[in-house]
Amino acid sequence: MSVSLARDLTEAVGAPRAVFVKWPLGHPLGEPHAPLQQRTVIFRALLLLVTASQPGVIEDLGLRWRREVYTEPDWSKLEGIEP
Amino acid sequence: MNRFYAIPSVAQLWASRAAQRSATLVAEDGSIPFTRLSKPLSAARGVLITTGGVHLKTQPPFDMENRDGDASYREIPDNVALDEITITHKYYDHRDADADLNVIFPLAHFHELVRQGVVGSLASRHFGFMGHIEGEQLAALMQRSAPEVAAKLRAEGVDFAFLTPA
Repeated sequence: MSVSLARDLTEAVGAPRAVFVKWPLGHPLGEPHAPLQQRTVIFRALLLLVTASQPGVIEDLGLRWRREVYTEPDWSKLEGIEP
Repeated sequence: MNRFYAIPSVAQLWASRAAQRSATLVAEDGSIPFTRLSKPLSAARGVLITTGGVHLKTQPPFDMENRDGDASYREIPDNVALDEITITHKYYDHRDADADLNVIFPLAHFHELVRQGVVGSLASRHFGFMGHIEGEQLAALMQRSAPEVAAKLRAEGVDFAFLTPA
């Protein structure tokens, strides 16, 4: 399960699953001291980890840099998803 | 340290060019490895792997002199104190990651997810690599470092890896 900051590169190396954020290099989880933003990326990545059904899926999270309002993810959505 | 790549569009342009050089990294038949989780996430063991140059202050830093990069890796204990960690990597601007390690190495968040029961457990050690690997170092990465780490993950029963690039 990978975070991608460079979609073309992630496609080229054949990552099994990835979530893509069009953010500056060096910021795969987002901004410093922004735990809700960071946890949102982790949540979306883990959701893809447990739901992806084919190799090479790259999900564009569509999150704009410094222009989103984040809330705590509903982690219960990850419960009970059987492989 | 390069602020130029902090601009998303510039980073994407760099990525496109890097991708063209990376065609040799995929399997000859173009297949992508894929394994489904064999258990619920709440019972699964995870590991963090980053190419952001993360390592312990007590470990040798990554080699910044070799233009091909440094294919070695550093093991980071799961129970490490975060102030024992540093970043050596001159090919991206890591000032924000220096200020908050969770930007690139979200160990604190994953500890919380284990406490919450979202994730079953974490490996006893995580792995820090340096990105920007080319030439002979790329061969060393693929032939030595990556198989070594994969064997260590298998031996510890790791079910999934969370990878963060720089």
